[in-house]
Amino acid sequence: MKSTFDYIRAGESLERKEQPVDPLSRPSGPGNRDQGPKRPETDSPSRDNLMKRMRKVDPKQAEKYRQRTGE
Amino acid sequence: MHNRIFGIETEYGLLIKAEQPDVSPSWIARRIIEHLFGQKKHGVIDRHYRGHDEPPGNGGFLLNAGRMYVDMGHLEYASPECHSLWDLVAVDRAGDLLLQDCLEDLGLSELVSIIKNNVDHETDATFGCHENYLVSRDFPFTYQGLGLLMPFLVTRQVFTGAGRIGRARSVEGWIGLDDIEGRGMARSRRSTEDAVIYQISQRPDYIVNDFFEWVQHNRAIVNTRDEPLADPERFRRLHLLMGDSNMAEEATLLKMGTTGLVLQLIEEGHAPEGLDFDDPVQTLRAISRDPQQQWMVTLSTGKTLSALDIQEQFWEAAAKRYAGQDEETDWVLSHWESVVKDLRKGYQAVVGRVDWASKLWLLENFREAEKLEWDDPWLKSLDLEYHNVDPQAGLYHGMVEEGHAPRFTTNDLVDLAKHHPPRNTRAFGRAEVIRHLANKPWPDLDDEHEDWQHRRIPPYVINWSVLQIRGNLVFVMADPFRTYVQESQDYCAEAASR
Repeated sequence: MKSTFDYIRAGESLERKEQPVDPLSRPSGPGNRDQGPKRPETDSPSRDNLMKRMRKVDPKQAEKYRQRTGE
Repeated sequence: MHNRIFGIETEYGLLIKAEQPDVSPSWIARRIIEHLFGQKKHGVIDRHYRGHDEPPGNGGFLLNAGRMYVDMGHLEYASPECHSLWDLVAVDRAGDLLLQDCLEDLGLSELVSIIKNNVDHETDATFGCHENYLVSRDFPFTYQGLGLLMPFLVTRQVFTGAGRIGRARSVEGWIGLDDIEGRGMARSRRSTEDAVIYQISQRPDYIVNDFFEWVQHNRAIVNTRDEPLADPERFRRLHLLMGDSNMAEEATLLKMGTTGLVLQLIEEGHAPEGLDFDDPVQTLRAISRDPQQQWMVTLSTGKTLSALDIQEQFWEAAAKRYAGQDEETDWVLSHWESVVKDLRKGYQAVVGRVDWASKLWLLENFREAEKLEWDDPWLKSLDLEYHNVDPQAGLYHGMVEEGHAPRFTTNDLVDLAKHHPPRNTRAFGRAEVIRHLANKPWPDLDDEHEDWQHRRIPPYVINWSVLQIRGNLVFVMADPFRTYVQESQDYCAEAASR
């Protein structure tokens, strides 16, 4: 899918276009965009590093957040 | 995307991880702004009062034509105007990384986390993620016209919600009926809080009206403020403040893309009718809190159906008329259909694509592994950590790293989006002028040697639709669809020649 940042990556950063530009061809290969919806591995995160990340979280950090209402 | 300009405004939370009484979130926010504009020169800092609470130095415009500033103590990032949803998802993530980069430059990343969420579980504070959609001045900004949008907005949370543990105890200045019905307030609050273990969206607890024009109090599903930031005779800006900050790229794309298509249905007179609720605010909240995730609602007609059924009706109307309209529309239609179908299978089917489902999946697994009760404070801490923008620490980013959450942009494009504007909106012209100004040496904001005349008349003033360099004419950019390429370059050349 198009992003105008694709044009900068493609070395066209000095070219100024007034109108919306046509999309470049989409990058291919694993890890690239628009692979379509797919169901992730959802058995359990325990086999990978996610559980490690979660265990590193300070159990009390929510008590330290102390934000004020914004907007 | 067809005939639309999008923008997102994100207020970030700042978590100070150690007990340091002299370090507050607003102090950290100021240091980041000073670093971003002063040392890194990623844009130009405001040198004039934008309002009584926005003095010079409070924020500025970035090289990507977006804006970073402090608002009510929060760091806030307003994205540049995007015509493409793919640009929008890149600039949205670029804002996260600009801030994270500053934190690391300042050596503060061990002390502070930047959290892209909308609630504080402990204080019940809330802060927003506002959406902007440019519409024609002819858009029916009436109860009837906006009423057609209401059922869509109330039910879209099934795929746009970011999820949270528990509920807000009460909205400021708002006392629920259950608090005044003769029972002790503490007991009453406790019982209602206990009743909500997990809800799919963060903002419904704070939305108390269907239509209203202000943003800080009496928050409404549809904000009706008329501030187009463009030619007011041609445009209006629909400003929504009821949505959550999304981490999942698919959720961001769907939130903005589906809402854009529903606005088009209303503009062209094709929106589904007869889907009104008697009480949209209560329905919004009930859907968010439904523990069974069945999301059954009753319409004003008495008919009962699910939030997914309502989304399906909007999808059908949009697919019938707009399939083939452009590549982005087709992507939105395809993924909208898919997410609604998959939600019928259970939340596990949308993990990685829908934030509330991803978070629930992580929490369920962790709770089971650690044998925790739902009221364990560790789970609230993990809820926050899901929104940590640091790729090395945040749980959403951990899911991406482990292949559990699909990407729709790339790190390369996000890096470019930190310092370059989208190329097909007026953001481009604004960025030309910002780059011109950023390359010049400016005196410090508090420089006592700057002469009186220069202190009185700032060297430049930049805003969304208009800007001016001192000594030059006002440069108006009233049409967000135009890039103002030539005009902005001529303007900079003229300013340089003086």
